[in-house]
Amino acid sequence: MSEKSKSSWQKEMSGKEQRDVIKRLLPYTKDFKADFLIAILFAALLSGINILLPLLLQYYMDHYLQSKSTPLNVMFLFAGLYFIGVILKAITQFIQMYLYSMGAEKTLEKIRIVLFKKIHTLGMRYFDQTPAGAVVSRVTNDTMTLADFWTLFMTLIIGIFSLVSAFVAMYIAKPQIALITLIFVPILMITTWYYQRFSSRVYRQMREYLSRLNTKLNESIVGINVIQQFRQEERIEGEFEDTNELYLKKRFEMIKTNSLLLSPIISLFYALAVVITLGLFGINSLDHFVEAGMVYAFLTYLQNFFNPMTNLMDYLTTFQDGIVAGSRIIGVLDDQTLEPQQTPDKGATIVNGKIEFKNVTFSYDNENAVLKNISFVVRPGETLAFVGHTGSGKSSTINVLMRFYDFQEGQILIDDLDIKKYSSDELRKKMGLVLQDSFLFYGTVASNIRMLNQNVTNGQIEEAAKFVHADQFIEKLPKRYQTKVVERGATYSSGEKQLISFARTIVTNPKILILDEATANIDTETEQLIQDGLKQMRQNRTTLVIAHRLSTIVDANQILVLDKGKIVERGTHEELLKLEGKYFDMYHLQNISDD
Amino acid sequence: MNIFRKLGWFFKQEKKSYGIGVFFLILVAIFQIVPPKIIGNIVDSMSRNELTVRKLAIWVGILIFVAVGQYLFRYIWRTNIWGSAARLEKILRTRLFKHFMQMDQSFFQQNRTGDLMAHATNDLTAIQQVAGAGILTFADSIITGGTTIIAMVVLIDWRLTILAIIPLPLLAVMARFLGTKIHTAFATSQAAFSTLNNKTQESVSGIKVIKTLGQEQEDINDFEEKVQETIKINRRVNLLDALFDPITSLIIGLSYVFTIILGGYYVTNDVISIGQLISFISYIALLVWPMFAIGRLFNVIERGNASYDRVQILLNQTSGIIDTKQGLAKSPTGPFDFDIHHFNYPDDNRVSLRDVKFHIGAGQTLGIVGKTGAGKSTIMKLILREFDVYKGTISVNNSDIKKYALDAYLKSIGYVPQESFLFSTTIFDNIRFANMDLTKEDVEMAAFDADLDTDIIDLPQQYETAVGEQGISLSGGQKQRLAIARALVINPELLILDDALSAVDARTESIILSRLKEKRQNKTTIISASRMSSVMDADEIIVIDEGTIVERGQHETLMALRGWYYQMTTKQQLENKLDGGGSQ
Repeated sequence: MSEKSKSSWQKEMSGKEQRDVIKRLLPYTKDFKADFLIAILFAALLSGINILLPLLLQYYMDHYLQSKSTPLNVMFLFAGLYFIGVILKAITQFIQMYLYSMGAEKTLEKIRIVLFKKIHTLGMRYFDQTPAGAVVSRVTNDTMTLADFWTLFMTLIIGIFSLVSAFVAMYIAKPQIALITLIFVPILMITTWYYQRFSSRVYRQMREYLSRLNTKLNESIVGINVIQQFRQEERIEGEFEDTNELYLKKRFEMIKTNSLLLSPIISLFYALAVVITLGLFGINSLDHFVEAGMVYAFLTYLQNFFNPMTNLMDYLTTFQDGIVAGSRIIGVLDDQTLEPQQTPDKGATIVNGKIEFKNVTFSYDNENAVLKNISFVVRPGETLAFVGHTGSGKSSTINVLMRFYDFQEGQILIDDLDIKKYSSDELRKKMGLVLQDSFLFYGTVASNIRMLNQNVTNGQIEEAAKFVHADQFIEKLPKRYQTKVVERGATYSSGEKQLISFARTIVTNPKILILDEATANIDTETEQLIQDGLKQMRQNRTTLVIAHRLSTIVDANQILVLDKGKIVERGTHEELLKLEGKYFDMYHLQNISDD
Repeated sequence: MNIFRKLGWFFKQEKKSYGIGVFFLILVAIFQIVPPKIIGNIVDSMSRNELTVRKLAIWVGILIFVAVGQYLFRYIWRTNIWGSAARLEKILRTRLFKHFMQMDQSFFQQNRTGDLMAHATNDLTAIQQVAGAGILTFADSIITGGTTIIAMVVLIDWRLTILAIIPLPLLAVMARFLGTKIHTAFATSQAAFSTLNNKTQESVSGIKVIKTLGQEQEDINDFEEKVQETIKINRRVNLLDALFDPITSLIIGLSYVFTIILGGYYVTNDVISIGQLISFISYIALLVWPMFAIGRLFNVIERGNASYDRVQILLNQTSGIIDTKQGLAKSPTGPFDFDIHHFNYPDDNRVSLRDVKFHIGAGQTLGIVGKTGAGKSTIMKLILREFDVYKGTISVNNSDIKKYALDAYLKSIGYVPQESFLFSTTIFDNIRFANMDLTKEDVEMAAFDADLDTDIIDLPQQYETAVGEQGISLSGGQKQRLAIARALVINPELLILDDALSAVDARTESIILSRLKEKRQNKTTIISASRMSSVMDADEIIVIDEGTIVERGQHETLMALRGWYYQMTTKQQLENKLDGGGSQ
């Protein structure tokens, strides 16, 4: 497998790269400092309570249980005190856990929003290059993985508090023995380090096999036709079985690693620490009196000392995931494929809607020009039509006019002012584009016309629909304008989708209208509605049309025939027919197929 | 508990692993009793000033022995029980996968890919949990819980034991109750996550619309609103989650409170020693996990049971295509006859094909043209035996195709659909998909015939270049030609090109067609196309409209008819002229 096709589970990042990722992500916690700080404070408090509770029992055992005369109410008193301690502990635990998880949650959502905002500043070029699935995955899955990452930090903090407080308590109780338990610190560190190194390798391999397994599963379902037609079921089953077996082997390895190095080994170390402690207390007791409560308390501290380790080691496995996810998120945040920038003149507004292209040259890749020296003028209220084959430059002309891409040479003027001098708000408000493929969003018919502009009233929506003749089919829908639209409007015909998107454009009342005619097959009935709708929309608006059906543009004021990025013919319908050139051919061709 | 019975076959099969696992679990449980007792003994000896070096050495020795023993035993039961659970998941995954491979089209229409994936991942995880965590918690709660309580009664005091364990069943109740709540809350949280996911998906797919309307800010606001909603939902999840530990503390705390009072009373009255009290406190700690386990067990079983049923429902579905295993095993050759009076799709009452009859002599080529939706692909589907219920017969060499074993019949066909799926592997393996024994020469020859060889040479790793999801992306035309090569490489008796030249340009098309003609002189070919030039040279061309044949004959005949075929041909020739013979 080539380096490029390796999935991220297989890559390992250097320590510096890992630190950089953490450094970049840490500032996002800033807004939720309070949550985090209080949580940490309570974590400290908790480790304090965990010391005080055994201390209370120690005092009770050593002062009251050694004598026969302790009255029952002292016992109740200690029980009561102990229970108050437990209640405090419960409250502290709750606050610490809840606040921290909320802090992590809010941080995660904040990163999501920042990412989402960033995506909206990126230019079309970015979306051409990046598969939609990858963008979505950055915003949702990778941020999710990061959440585990914050939990790791908290586990680390709790672990350290617990370790330190337990040691302090032991030191106060019996300094000599406490110091000896310190030999477990390097042992634990080495174990943790070794586990992290060893297990994360196994873990990554396991994840890699799992993702391979799921890819195979998914592919085999999607490609089931091919498999069955070529009668390859058995071979594919065999291959799947091999991967399945490999995954199982890795899982066994992981189970073994965890059984060998995770909680059982911590338990072993703890047991050995108990042995050493008891031995030392025992030897001590040969010439000094050792109080029972003291032994109890000391052993409890020892437990606090070892307890957080398993948890911590467990989370370390996810460390790598978090770093990988983080680095991918940073990749998007640092992406420089931005939208073309405007340098707006204050108060520049489009009033008439005159459009002029002056020697515009444009290429997507800075190498192969797709528009070469394009010049034309459209006077306010007039209609200009582009015709030409796929790849002739029709859509590119629209793309530069809409500022989806920056052009390299020449100038575009609107109302005799450079297009770059308008704010992008002004451009979007005054220019309405109807795309070739009408994209409908999940929601209702009304919400698809209104889109996200809450100032649009229901009255305006119905008016717009009526204006473009979309009302006829909408009125027939079960819940009219409130009828549901599923993802991508799958339940509507392409003609109906087109009509809804007409209404969507017209409701914004643009000064300039840009139409990319649909090529999809539309039934004759809807086709007539669409033609009527188009005619309506063009009234009193400067209109640019990319025409696929020449019959719709015979009355255009100007027709430009494009070929390989150049204007090869221009004029009105009659003028072009007289030329007997490309337009002439196309027109006759269409008349044949329209029969 | 039903699920344990349903999984009985597996437990029987794995009885050795489970036997060993449970046996060592019991040993761990027994060993667990030892340290608290010895700690108590040492404490007592110390406080009575009876401790000797010899005694201490023996006790410490036992503790070390127990610690090392526990470590080993834990390793053994963990690897056995978790390992078996992993094996169960693997077995079920294989079973499901094999089942998927045998299913027919209607199965895949009823069950969407995402759902099938979910069954093969989430449901299997839930079942696996029963065989791992389920068995463990079941055994653990009984064995560890039981031995600890016995130790408390025997070694310490039965009255104290009863009092101290009164609050502990609350742990089980809490684990069950809170566990269920967290599970439902988590499902809501997943749903909120999906909403965000869909929202992002739509914004990215519809980015041009949003940019056009200049509604970036509004879209961000909308997203933020949904994020706020998600935070609200997750707040509940976090809240419930954060309740777990504190409630546990409180319940155990209650046990301790009882122990402090009654235990203290007993110590001062010499019913038990101070060492026994310390042992007793340690035993309470040992009971926490088994009590949790009982509560968790219910949740694991519940989910596992539901998942197991879902998987069984899938496994019980059968394919509508019946393979006659005793059928003709000989690869079919000879004339091909298609004679269908009537066919409609299973869930659709509309007639898809009516009175379609054609004969292709051995080695001849049939062309099928017509509008989209006219029924061209339906004909192919019937030939490929995707549907077996129709009025009429399809036969090769005068034998009904249903009489052939699928292995013999389908392997003689090379089918190329318009949109073909490529697998995430090398071009080499994609081409020799139908026969992995084929050599480099065979593959190169097929690539040449499909006019793909020069394209492949230009790729970074040539035939070893990976395509599909993780590999490079090929153009539509390249994909089609790869699919053609994939069909040609087995030199099929019957080659079907189902609109499989739609994305290649006219020049490439004519190269491929001429190579086919040359190579496939004795083999049968069916070409369906939207471009008339693809079928011009066929021995017979049929025009399909609304499920039936409306025109038929050779090119010249059809041109003379001046019907649909004539119109399309003239139109396309003009188009070609306009494009200078270039691509569409």
